[in-house]
Amino acid sequence: MIFEMLKSAIRSILSNKTRTFLSVLGITIGIAAVIAVVSLGEGAGSSIKKNISSLGSNILMIMPGKTAGKGRLAQAVGDVFTEEDADKLLAYSTSLDGVTPILTMQMNVQVGAVNTIANLVGAKSDIWSILQINVMEGRLTLPSDESKSVCVIGQKLKEDLFGDEPAIGKSISILTPAGKRTFTVVGVLEPAGQLLFFRPDEAVIIPFKTAKLRVFHTKKVSLILAKVREPELTQIAMQEIDSYFFKKFHSEDRYSIISQDYILQTLNESLTILNLVLGGIAGISLLVGGIGIMNIMLVSVIERTREIGIRKALGATRSSILLQFILEAVIVTLTGGIFGIVLGAIAGKIISRFINIPFILSPAVVLIATAISTAIGLFFGVFPAHKASKLNPVEALRYE
Amino acid sequence: MNLIEIRNVTKIYDLGDVKVNALRGINLEIKEGEILVIMGPSGSGKSTLLNLLGLLDKPTSGKIILAGKDVSSMNDNELAKMRNRFIGFIFQQFNLLPRMNAIENVELPMVYAGIPKKERTKRAKELLEKMGLENRMHHLPSQLSGGQQQRVAIARALANSPKLILADEPTGNLDSRSGDMIINILKELNKQGMTIVVVTHDSEIAKIGDRIVHIKDGKIHEIEVKE
Ligand SMILES: Nc1ncnc2c1ncn2[C@@H]1O[C@H](COP(=O)(O)OP(=O)(O)OP(=O)(O)O)[C@@H](O)[C@H]1O
Ligand SMILES: [Mg+2]
Repeated sequence: MIFEMLKSAIRSILSNKTRTFLSVLGITIGIAAVIAVVSLGEGAGSSIKKNISSLGSNILMIMPGKTAGKGRLAQAVGDVFTEEDADKLLAYSTSLDGVTPILTMQMNVQVGAVNTIANLVGAKSDIWSILQINVMEGRLTLPSDESKSVCVIGQKLKEDLFGDEPAIGKSISILTPAGKRTFTVVGVLEPAGQLLFFRPDEAVIIPFKTAKLRVFHTKKVSLILAKVREPELTQIAMQEIDSYFFKKFHSEDRYSIISQDYILQTLNESLTILNLVLGGIAGISLLVGGIGIMNIMLVSVIERTREIGIRKALGATRSSILLQFILEAVIVTLTGGIFGIVLGAIAGKIISRFINIPFILSPAVVLIATAISTAIGLFFGVFPAHKASKLNPVEALRYE
Repeated sequence: MNLIEIRNVTKIYDLGDVKVNALRGINLEIKEGEILVIMGPSGSGKSTLLNLLGLLDKPTSGKIILAGKDVSSMNDNELAKMRNRFIGFIFQQFNLLPRMNAIENVELPMVYAGIPKKERTKRAKELLEKMGLENRMHHLPSQLSGGQQQRVAIARALANSPKLILADEPTGNLDSRSGDMIINILKELNKQGMTIVVVTHDSEIAKIGDRIVHIKDGKIHEIEVKE
């Protein structure tokens, strides 16, 4: 019986191809949008997390200003920390094994005729053990480089400035607020993603004293970077840092301590919100598709009133009529769903290649999409099917 | 034995502002194995009565007792089952499903009876052969003449070997030759023991009836009994 119903459902679906095509299309677009959005969201999330977690979870960043609520950083209120704070903090805390003050600003960098914007970062040589990045060529800055005009540059910046030419030993010019400064390149960093507050790939890193004396001319620092000895000590380290700065400022509003976890969590939250918003928009298109199906089904029930009457006269029960129409709706939405998954996967794949993130289509998403398209068929098919099933046979047979 | 007993049956169609009294107190027994012809002017309530006998509709008041069972006590599923096993319909407009070929149309009542595919096809073919349609089994209704369509419809009505055949102007849309053929088939079925109720305007066709019931304004006007 169910096989006969399937056959007759498919037959009546195929009897109006244009209409069926359009109903299927509605669901296909909806499901494709959902699949594309979700898989791109997952891809983006994993690519960001990979960059961040490669850092290790034991890095703390102490920023000026207060974290505004959950997940949002307030505008930095200005330079509140000094170089001295970094040294004192290392002595004060039992759980930190590396601290460096950081001075940073976007600046114009030139080599010959080529010029570009880069992140200038002044940091003590401890930064290397804190961030755990190494050079591809040349060497890192050393404690003995302090106040010398040397620099280490990111791999992408090196390509922008020097192309395939070797960079070690060459000079670069930086246009600072205090005038043009020249630095000798001693090393090129290996590729790395986003690290906390900057992209090493596009940065120029110079010794802290050099930055302080020759570029920034200030006693304050932009932020402080610290490394916790063991990941398990992170909480304790945060408390120690907090107590140090609270003693100094008598206020929690002037500084904030940001951990790797915090950044991950913040990112996760924003990604989740983004995914929900985009998914919601895609979901609305599914809803519209579903309403389209219901509309078509209602028309179909009216058109086939006579058929329903005949079937009832021949012994069709209400439930068999109900089932037949629901089956038709589900076949349409399921077909739309399958096309939608394929289309969404293709679209997601193409887009992910363009924006350079990994493409992730998890089996769970495919399964859920299939389930959703079936559910839409059920949900939007039930009403018309119910209408069909309770038609009075005599009225139905009289219908022209 | 009475296959059907109709007691004080009325049918009122409520159209909101107007009420149509289609049947006003019908009392009638239909014996097992007889051919009963119903005649009467247009609008007199013939089809209404036949639809009540076919369990397609319910009377406004009164009782219909089918094979000893009060119809009003049956629920939707029982009514559907009864229509499926006990009754075969033949309509003036044939009422074949347009997207199904002759065999599939004949199989349909058997589908609802839950008969397996193989058996269904076998029986459908036999029935269509009996109707002289062995060369038309895979034709769609639109590819058949009116007479052929009506024969497919009869084969379909016979699919589950019903006890009762209800025919509402079965020859109304046919030329006289095809009409005669249908009438002969009905006679033949009656010989095999089926009870047949035919609604017709045609006094020639009425001659096959063991009894002829004349209806006027929703009431039985006269019953002619053939000796
Ligand atoms: N569904 C309905 N709603 C309202 N009135 C109806 C309905 N069906 C039938 N009627 C009315 O009931 C009366 C009897 O109709 P019925 O169809 O039984 O007549 P009939 O004897 O079969 O006529 P005909 O010979 O023209 O087929 C008519 O007046 C008709 O208008
Ligand atoms: Mg009539």
